Amino acid sequence: MRNLFLFFRKHYFIFLFLALEMISLVLFFRFNKYQNAVMFKWTSGISGGIHSVYRDISEYFSLKEANFILGEENAALHARMPEAIYLSDTAMFSRNDTLFQSEYRFINARVISNTTNQRNNFLMISKGRLQGVEPHMGVITGNKIVGQVVNVSSHFSWVLSMLHSESKISARFMKNNQMISVEWPGGDYKKGVVREIPKHLQVIPGDTVVTSGNSEVFPNGILIGIIDNLTIRDNENFNTATLTFLTDFNSLGYVEVVVDMFRSEKEQLKASFRE
Amino acid sequence: MTNLILRNSVRFVFLVLFQVLILNHINLGGFTNPYFYIYFILLLPFATPRWLMLLLAFFLGISIDLFTNTYGLNAAATLFMAFSRPYVIRLISREPEETFGIQPSLRSEGFKWFFFYSLILVLLHHTTLFYLEIFRFTEFFHTLLRVITSTAFTLVLIFLSEIIFHFKGRERW
Repeated sequence: MRNLFLFFRKHYFIFLFLALEMISLVLFFRFNKYQNAVMFKWTSGISGGIHSVYRDISEYFSLKEANFILGEENAALHARMPEAIYLSDTAMFSRNDTLFQSEYRFINARVISNTTNQRNNFLMISKGRLQGVEPHMGVITGNKIVGQVVNVSSHFSWVLSMLHSESKISARFMKNNQMISVEWPGGDYKKGVVREIPKHLQVIPGDTVVTSGNSEVFPNGILIGIIDNLTIRDNENFNTATLTFLTDFNSLGYVEVVVDMFRSEKEQLKASFRE
Repeated sequence: MTNLILRNSVRFVFLVLFQVLILNHINLGGFTNPYFYIYFILLLPFATPRWLMLLLAFFLGISIDLFTNTYGLNAAATLFMAFSRPYVIRLISREPEETFGIQPSLRSEGFKWFFFYSLILVLLHHTTLFYLEIFRFTEFFHTLLRVITSTAFTLVLIFLSEIIFHFKGRERW
């Protein structure tokens, strides 16, 4: 017993190292698997606050660009107002919007932290549970893809970026609706990879890839990217291709969270089928 | 002694904020990130008790992790680096330890010693960090390139601050 004690005392450095390293690794594997579930809730207040201050300051430097984007959006919206539509017929048709139930609602949020240089990237945005954000909601900017909410606290949300090794987006070609899937192989934040392209499909550089709308996360037709080039894989069942993202992940300022109004209905339907 | 503790505490806070608020936003060529905060471990006094060094490394890593939501990743890498520090010092030193200054520095230990000292430790830290983050071998060479370029970047920052802060007439912070 005494020898054992002396042994530990003599080599305490190694044992202390192993103990602390063990704690780190347990933290690492646990929290990255469960998307930082517990820690995020009680640290987001501190780190979120500091990131907010940082963002408040850095936002001043891009005010000009933000104004420009807002102006362009305004113009596009004005073009869709009834006043902007020329009526050639004397008979007037009006579409009362309240007769149709809208399928998606959008929550505008500010990006308060964002990375593009890690292998697994996340964003923190300024809206949380109190504003109606829930896990598994899609996040877009303009009409372009950004990522998916994985965790919410009262005032902030943690978004798994498209630039993450776990991101696998169900997509289709705009021209012929063929189903494919888009991933990010790491490295350049502008380049993605398209997998599961059927052999018979004609793919040319410049083809547009959009979301398929098969999941409850993204609406149909959200822009993902433009095909760069196709790689023929002779001994596999599918071809792959590289694409350039249309989203500039390095300059995200404001994003919209997609709220699917029929989500619970869709999920119930799927669940009932499984039983 | 109090002065030494104060100086190291200020350096700890400063390096964490510098890393989180500025360096984490730097990204050269799509994959090169400097991890300058480990400069704190490099500069710990020679006489630091080894258990204290491990605890400091753990808290330094966890502080960085808190801001990047990678709990344990930086802590694991920094711990490994701190663990290796005494062995690296023994490996590269010709003279007995009594001839050393209070803390490792370019001025007191000379260019060659300090270069190998920081190169080996930074390389150990970056290798652990990047491979743990990826945790697969399919991107082995791409990750290796990230390790090498990021190590070079971090080393440049370390030598710049050595020259700026330690080559003045007397010891500063």
